[in-house]
Amino acid sequence: MKDTRRVLRWFPLLAVFAIWPGSRPAVADQPQHLAFRVGKVVTMDPQNRVLNNAVVLVRNGKIEKVGPAEGTSIPKRYELIDRPDHWLVPGLVEAHNHSAGSGRDLHDYVYLTNPGLRTLEALVPESNDIKRARAGGVTTVHMIPGSGNNLSGFGTLTKLAGDNVEQMLIQSPGSLKISQAGNPERYWYGVGRTFMYYNLRQTLQKALAYHRQWERYEKDPSAEKPQFDLFWHDFRGVFQRKVIALIHTQWYQVVMSSVDMLAKKLKMRIVLGHSTFEAYQTAPLVLEQGDIYASNGPRQIHFDRRQRKIMGNAARWWQGGVRKLGVNTDAGVIPQEELPYQAAMACHFGWKPYEALRGVTRVPAETLMLENRLGSIEVGKDADLGLWTGDPIDPRSACELTVIDGRIVYDAGQQREF
Amino acid sequence: MNARRVSIAVVLLGLVVADGRAAPPAKVALQGGRIIPVEGEEIAQGTLLIENGKITAVGAQVEIPYDAMVVDVSGKVLLPGMISPHTWRGLDRANENLPVAPYLDVYDAIDPSSLAFEDALRDGVLAVHVIQGDSCVIGGLSRLVHPIGRTPDEMTIRPAIALKLSTSPRSGFDRMSQMAAMREAFFDLGVYLEDLAETRYEAELKKQEKQIDVPPEEARKRGRELIRDEDLDDKHANLLRLIEKRLDAWIYCGAATDVAPAIGTARENGFLERSVFVLGVDAYRAVDELKQAGRPVVLPPELVHQERDPITGELRETFVPKVIHDAGLLFALQPDPDASLAERYLTYQAARCVRRGIPREAALQAITLNPAKMLGVADRLGSLQVGKAGYVVVLSGDPLDFNTWVEQAYIDGILAYDRAKDVRLQELLGLEEKAKKAADAKTAKAEEAKKVEEEKKEGEKKEDEAKEDEGKEDEKEKDEGKEDEKKQEKQPELPQDQPSPPDGEEP
Repeated sequence: MKDTRRVLRWFPLLAVFAIWPGSRPAVADQPQHLAFRVGKVVTMDPQNRVLNNAVVLVRNGKIEKVGPAEGTSIPKRYELIDRPDHWLVPGLVEAHNHSAGSGRDLHDYVYLTNPGLRTLEALVPESNDIKRARAGGVTTVHMIPGSGNNLSGFGTLTKLAGDNVEQMLIQSPGSLKISQAGNPERYWYGVGRTFMYYNLRQTLQKALAYHRQWERYEKDPSAEKPQFDLFWHDFRGVFQRKVIALIHTQWYQVVMSSVDMLAKKLKMRIVLGHSTFEAYQTAPLVLEQGDIYASNGPRQIHFDRRQRKIMGNAARWWQGGVRKLGVNTDAGVIPQEELPYQAAMACHFGWKPYEALRGVTRVPAETLMLENRLGSIEVGKDADLGLWTGDPIDPRSACELTVIDGRIVYDAGQQREF
Repeated sequence: MNARRVSIAVVLLGLVVADGRAAPPAKVALQGGRIIPVEGEEIAQGTLLIENGKITAVGAQVEIPYDAMVVDVSGKVLLPGMISPHTWRGLDRANENLPVAPYLDVYDAIDPSSLAFEDALRDGVLAVHVIQGDSCVIGGLSRLVHPIGRTPDEMTIRPAIALKLSTSPRSGFDRMSQMAAMREAFFDLGVYLEDLAETRYEAELKKQEKQIDVPPEEARKRGRELIRDEDLDDKHANLLRLIEKRLDAWIYCGAATDVAPAIGTARENGFLERSVFVLGVDAYRAVDELKQAGRPVVLPPELVHQERDPITGELRETFVPKVIHDAGLLFALQPDPDASLAERYLTYQAARCVRRGIPREAALQAITLNPAKMLGVADRLGSLQVGKAGYVVVLSGDPLDFNTWVEQAYIDGILAYDRAKDVRLQELLGLEEKAKKAADAKTAKAEEAKKVEEEKKEGEKKEDEAKEDEGKEDEKEKDEGKEDEKKQEKQPELPQDQPSPPDGEEP
């Protein structure tokens, strides 16, 4: 899929910090304080509160107050955005994105496993892709390398606003990208699962050995200090479970082995990055591990030839008891701004609308281990918001206003993107 | 529905096999069937008792413990679970594009959801030796699995059975480069081990704070015993295990000309006594060499070798198993899952052997006990004997009869397959629909009969009114009529309660 972009496979890895001409957000001088008075606030908080006729106050980039319209006074110096017919929802979070960067830097086909590469180098602030994503209410993305290798580098967690990388960045390395089967099979003269899994396991075990050396040294500073190795150092976060591993994995056998090799045996915190085809049948194995997130997409349906039946992937995972479930676009496979449409598709094939909305807000925030900052409208969290004409899952709804860190970064009133 | 049911069954059984959380019935008694133990005399009517996964009694008279689950298998035939001796099915591909890759393990690519395993179960093949294909010089480790379980771990009967070798050229190459690569692999192992031995000897001396005290050659000799498994790299670890006879070698000889190099490689490197030869269709012609080596062979799925005289056009056919059997070699038969013909069934392969003059016992052993021996699991599998694992197939008739179906299969004493619940098979054969039609027809017939009866009854009532004064004889008649009524009223219930008797039993 994304490999359509690998035309320039040997293009050298460049750090692209170019600012798109004329792309300065027209928001630099906005008031810092916003007040929303809206018809509905879907908070996505742990209590799953939905407030009708409510006010949300935003101050210094954070959410200051959430309360009923009656009885919540709006202080002076707050710009009031009064939309009694509109919905306010958390900014959408994408757990699987390739489009926030230059596009041509999706892959470096050096080896079958490539530690040391980071997508941070390819991030392009204020690109057209990013602007359009914002117009779809998407505020945070997880930008990862492609799936042409078994291990293609480290991903980046980034907000979709900022004139330079520093302003945008949440975390880098934000994840380790692993691809277990499918696309990497085209490497060299073609490789199969026996070799790919062997090779992947070898790489990870070397990384783990490096991590253990450092762990020993940190516990006992009198021990010999290990030599710093740039090639392996980023893996430390993965084995400390501070950095997730996003796995390009689909079909029963592959997901089974992701769960077994990576989560169970190597104790990594994994995200099933596609989890499509008949992979939902691994639900019992996934549940046994407890903390595996499934980010479903871009395919939302699977035609089961054995049963001659169309299966909605998300609905089947849900039926199997998996609750840590979201959807993704794999942007640009499906344009980033169509994230809510992915949720709509999942619902069309049997999932539940509220859960699907959670699956593009709170769940991906948890998936990326950013739930303390993102994914819901709660006091103290980042003011990443979308103001919609209705339910974002409803394809008839439009995003009117997107707010990132308390600043309006898209306003349909000025120029509607779609 | 069908695949889901099967996969749910697989999942449930997998759980059971994996960790015994959901305990299966600890004791199962299969009672009243004809038992073909493969080793030992047939029992015309007997009982097989499995306790905690193991066979604890086989015989005509078996005392059944009070707490055993008793299954009536009268009229059925019990056979040990069959063994598929050599297949790459269940993997994503037969071989990697690597000539020498002994560090690989089929474990990584076994797909528990593969239809190959579902079909194996359905065909009574309860152990599958999953091994890489023939297009390699040295392939990876193989594994013996049963066809149930959610993960390869849950499926495993025995890991790391053998390394796959081939003396026939892998596709796109010729015999010279094939054998050059083979020689190089073992030569390289020798060099590697010498270097490692020297390093190890030096390391040991260093530990004792001594300087090296002998010439390199002697150091290598002394260091050889100091090599531990953890000192070896992946590339050489399994090859060392092979030459130290801690692993088996399954060597593919696609043609007769490949047999001698295979035996030679095994003999030179010291693992002939742990070798099994996998034969291509004309490799039987090297039967003298094979006989001399005295090692087991796996026969090709195609059992008849045909060759045409280029001058006269005369066709000569050779039945391969007969040649091998007459040479006194231990042999196993392979099914061919790709064949649309009956070769896909091990029982058919065995039946063909009987047709061509191989004794029935030998033919049955070639699909059960012989592969178990080759795989080193004859203490657990291959025959129905006390002490072995409860891998049992319940057949509807004689195993070599083409009309016979697998009715049930037990793996470790757990019911792993039941034909009555095999929705996929029923669908494939159109039986479900057939059974439903038959049931509908029965119901319709019964309803019609009921209607007729009611009409008759009304008629009788009228007659009764007319003939009220007449004698006792008429009353008798009336009573009989009532009994008939009862009988016929009961009939329609039958098809509702038992909608689909498994109709495969119909001729």
